[in-house]
Amino acid sequence: MRPAQDNQGSFLGRISIRRNQFTDVNTEQEQEDLELFQKHIADRFTELLSPPPPPQQPPSDETNTVAPVPATEQIMSVTWLRKLMDVFLCCEAEFKAILLMGRDPTQISKPPFDRLVPEMLDRSIKALDICTAVVNGIDSVRHYQRLAEIAVAALEQRPLGDGNVRRAKRALSNLLIALSIEDKENVSGGGGRSGGSSAASKGGATIGQLKSSSWAVGRNWSAAKQIHAMTANLAPPRGNEAAGLPLPMFIMSTVTVFVMWVLTAAVPCQERAGLANHLPVPKHLNWAQSLVGIHEKIGDEWKKKEKKGSAGLMEEMTRMEKLGHSLVEFADGFHYPAEKEAAESAAAQVAEMAEICRRMEEELVPLQQQIREVFHRIVRSRAEILEVLEQAGKLSAPVV
Amino acid sequence: MAGLESKIPVPGVKNHVVEACHHVVKALRASDNNLDANLIKLLSDLETHLSTLGMADTKKVVEDTGFSEIKKRFKEAKKVILAWEQNQSMMIFDAGFSEADLFFQALYDVQKVLSGFKALPSKTSKKEKDVYNQAAVVLDIAMLRLEKELFDVLNQYKQHVQPQHLSVSSSRGKDIVLDESFVSLDDEVIAEATDEQQILGSNNAELVDPLIIPHVKAIAKAMFACDYSQTFREAFIAVRRDALDEYTATTLEMERFSCVDVLGMQWEDLNVEMRKWTKVLKIVTQFYLPSEKQLCDNILGDFEPSSSTVCFVEISKDTVLSLLSFGEAVSLRSCQPEMLERFLGMYEVSAELLLDVVDSLFPDETGSLLRMAFHELSKKLAERTVTTFLKFKNAVATDESTRAFPGGGIHHLTRYVMNYLKLLPEYKDALNALLENIQVDDSIQEKTGQDILPSTFSPTARHLRSIVTALESTLERKAQLYSDQSLKYIFLMNNCHYMVQKVKTSELRHFFGDEWIRKHIASYQHNVTDYERATWSSVLSLLKGSSNDSAATSRERCREFCLAFDEVYKNQTRWSVPDPELRDDLHISTSVKVVQSYRGFLGRNRIGEKHVRYTCEDIERLLLDLFECLPSPRSLRSSRRR
Repeated sequence: MRPAQDNQGSFLGRISIRRNQFTDVNTEQEQEDLELFQKHIADRFTELLSPPPPPQQPPSDETNTVAPVPATEQIMSVTWLRKLMDVFLCCEAEFKAILLMGRDPTQISKPPFDRLVPEMLDRSIKALDICTAVVNGIDSVRHYQRLAEIAVAALEQRPLGDGNVRRAKRALSNLLIALSIEDKENVSGGGGRSGGSSAASKGGATIGQLKSSSWAVGRNWSAAKQIHAMTANLAPPRGNEAAGLPLPMFIMSTVTVFVMWVLTAAVPCQERAGLANHLPVPKHLNWAQSLVGIHEKIGDEWKKKEKKGSAGLMEEMTRMEKLGHSLVEFADGFHYPAEKEAAESAAAQVAEMAEICRRMEEELVPLQQQIREVFHRIVRSRAEILEVLEQAGKLSAPVV
Repeated sequence: MAGLESKIPVPGVKNHVVEACHHVVKALRASDNNLDANLIKLLSDLETHLSTLGMADTKKVVEDTGFSEIKKRFKEAKKVILAWEQNQSMMIFDAGFSEADLFFQALYDVQKVLSGFKALPSKTSKKEKDVYNQAAVVLDIAMLRLEKELFDVLNQYKQHVQPQHLSVSSSRGKDIVLDESFVSLDDEVIAEATDEQQILGSNNAELVDPLIIPHVKAIAKAMFACDYSQTFREAFIAVRRDALDEYTATTLEMERFSCVDVLGMQWEDLNVEMRKWTKVLKIVTQFYLPSEKQLCDNILGDFEPSSSTVCFVEISKDTVLSLLSFGEAVSLRSCQPEMLERFLGMYEVSAELLLDVVDSLFPDETGSLLRMAFHELSKKLAERTVTTFLKFKNAVATDESTRAFPGGGIHHLTRYVMNYLKLLPEYKDALNALLENIQVDDSIQEKTGQDILPSTFSPTARHLRSIVTALESTLERKAQLYSDQSLKYIFLMNNCHYMVQKVKTSELRHFFGDEWIRKHIASYQHNVTDYERATWSSVLSLLKGSSNDSAATSRERCREFCLAFDEVYKNQTRWSVPDPELRDDLHISTSVKVVQSYRGFLGRNRIGEKHVRYTCEDIERLLLDLFECLPSPRSLRSSRRR
């Protein structure tokens, strides 16, 4: 349905046809496949870095015509994150074709693959945990969305009275606390179970994550540590390895780590201290340039945010935070009856906030579903690779 | 708001009646702690109804009276609400019904003021607008108070029910621990507690004290009527979600593990966690969640069914997903044969829940994520279980030894496999479903002979038989390692007898069927004959001779016989036939043969008593020592000679 996926279909087809024609894996062809793979990686990330101008909008579009190129396509927007998931799935499918299709199983069990493959599988397990944590984090974002909706509903009341503003302000304050809360505060919640009622008495029943005992992933689990561990033995292949299968393995691992890193930075996630440091992406490689570009952009943002504490870099959350601050300001200066000018400018902001909520409503759950799909894809691929390895084990060392 | 205005207005005089009703309800509650459930429900409904009757009273007031009257009413209402604002430490609920009623009355007065103004905003004067503005503030104060009240009431009156007969935490008795050498599953392990059936005796526990339901309902009604439904939902979800989380983590002691954790876990620990998970998932899904759903329906179902569904899904989501993700994580492990029973248990519970409750708990679009997650996991567990089953069979079929099993007793593989198989009939439905399309070579092709039970021809039965067939060929290979033919037969006899015993004395008999049992009894009886021929034919042949043998020849025969007997005695007292009945049978049938021949020989030939080393009675007695698995060779020469 998306262009990238059409691409992938024909790519797979070509590989399988070719491999079927030549029972022996022809190195020249393999070389060609590898180059194509790198090109696709480069193309996809370039598109993510600077999306092409959207096609001419059909005149009968139901959305309002304010701001023709909305922030939806911007890096870290929820739409963009969904695209990133698609990109990951495409890359992964292509990679698996290169790794497994028509290949003699014993080939990937010999050195250096006896080291590289297990390392890669190990990374994929860590990626699974990150997926789980992120799905959970998106639930927190949905909670922010609902707080924002409360504020929007209150500020849309006409005539706008002190009561409405009071209510909106409370919801906004809770929203802002939730958005700026640091991971650690979230997880410990000091005194655990009493968290609920104490928050209520402070005036907001439901600040951010009121989880009494745990995050989604096990105790002591840390997203930053997992990302770090995933990169620990990740190094570009050297010498004659650089021309063969180790290269796409390295590329795919890098893409995986990168995607997980982005997700972790985007939404609330368990333990992220030092996240910005953990992604050594090789800058000089062609396929990696756009990826590095995206990484730098997000990394800079992260460093800024890390200082003041942030629940995540998702574009909608960032804008929500800005709007939240300025609406709180409006609320602080509000006296009934509302001054016309202030009310109008607030109304515009409320409308923007409502628009963000609407987009979150539309896209967050599908994003969750996509991440679950990524989870299942990783599980499936891992199983397939293990199966091939088992086969290889039988072939090379027949059972006594 | 619509819900409230539809109520019939109650003329002032009826307030007394309403008040009287309250008293009756209170008195009834106070009179007896053991009111039956129906009555409690009736009372709760009545209370809820009464409180809304009171509220509807305000409707006419706004319409009929003038601004000053409205203002007066508002002032009074404001006083009531602000008084509670000063008293944050106390719950409105604890102040009693009439106090709570006053609060809700005041709240609705305020709300009426607001809706009255909203209907005609343009005509209103500045003064009136100010009252409107104040009313909105007071309303918000009241709403915040109710939000806190909701939190406190739900927290303080929550009940954590421990399902009866349930202990998830303790791992009862010895667990089945298996290493690759199939060593440690012994007969006594099978004392598996099967209390799982009893867990779900009473459905629908009260997750909160039923006393608070009318109060919470009143809060919900008020907040929904004042357009604070979102706030109500958020607070309600947060408290109830945390309660479920606490229940799972603390009461059921189910820890959360990452995939990395699960893959790194020792088998013994994982075994405990998998067992626990199977129970916890069942308790949470079949027992806790339906009660939670009922609670949501109780509170919101009457006037906002869609909110009830949304709240329920949001409350369940986190815990359910984390439980399911443990299943996902376990499925990542390579399937070791020893995981079979655990996987079966996990698969079975997931399949049962899918059939039973999942679709009704999460019926529509709102719950589709959870519903799908259940389906996905169940599918995965099914696949893992089948793989493990086949691996188990393969492990049995390919188990190899380099040395003969000492003493010819029951091999630990036989013990392990048979005791393991005994655990499986409990999962027969799951197994039948899983194995239906898996190819199998079965020794019994179709319904013939005496077997009439359908279970004997079920997929489970065919696969169980095929595992035992694999076991038999493995044992046959192990038997070839004996240099002594007789010992080989004893070994085969022992093991075959053991299998038959295990089948006959357990549920397995319905699966293996009479024909199988008959064939295998014949098989070990054949081993007995083979043994007797292998050991005793040559020994007894020493006693055979022609009738005209000389005395010297006969004496020589007798001596040779005794020497051969000594040799057999020395060897075979170290052999083992663990089953006492089988050993007795073997003693008797050997004794009959040997003693009879010996007695005949002694009768036919005149041999001086001093040349006869063993009397018939000696032989008979000594034969009883065979197969007793004596620790060291016993020489007859020294100890037994008279």
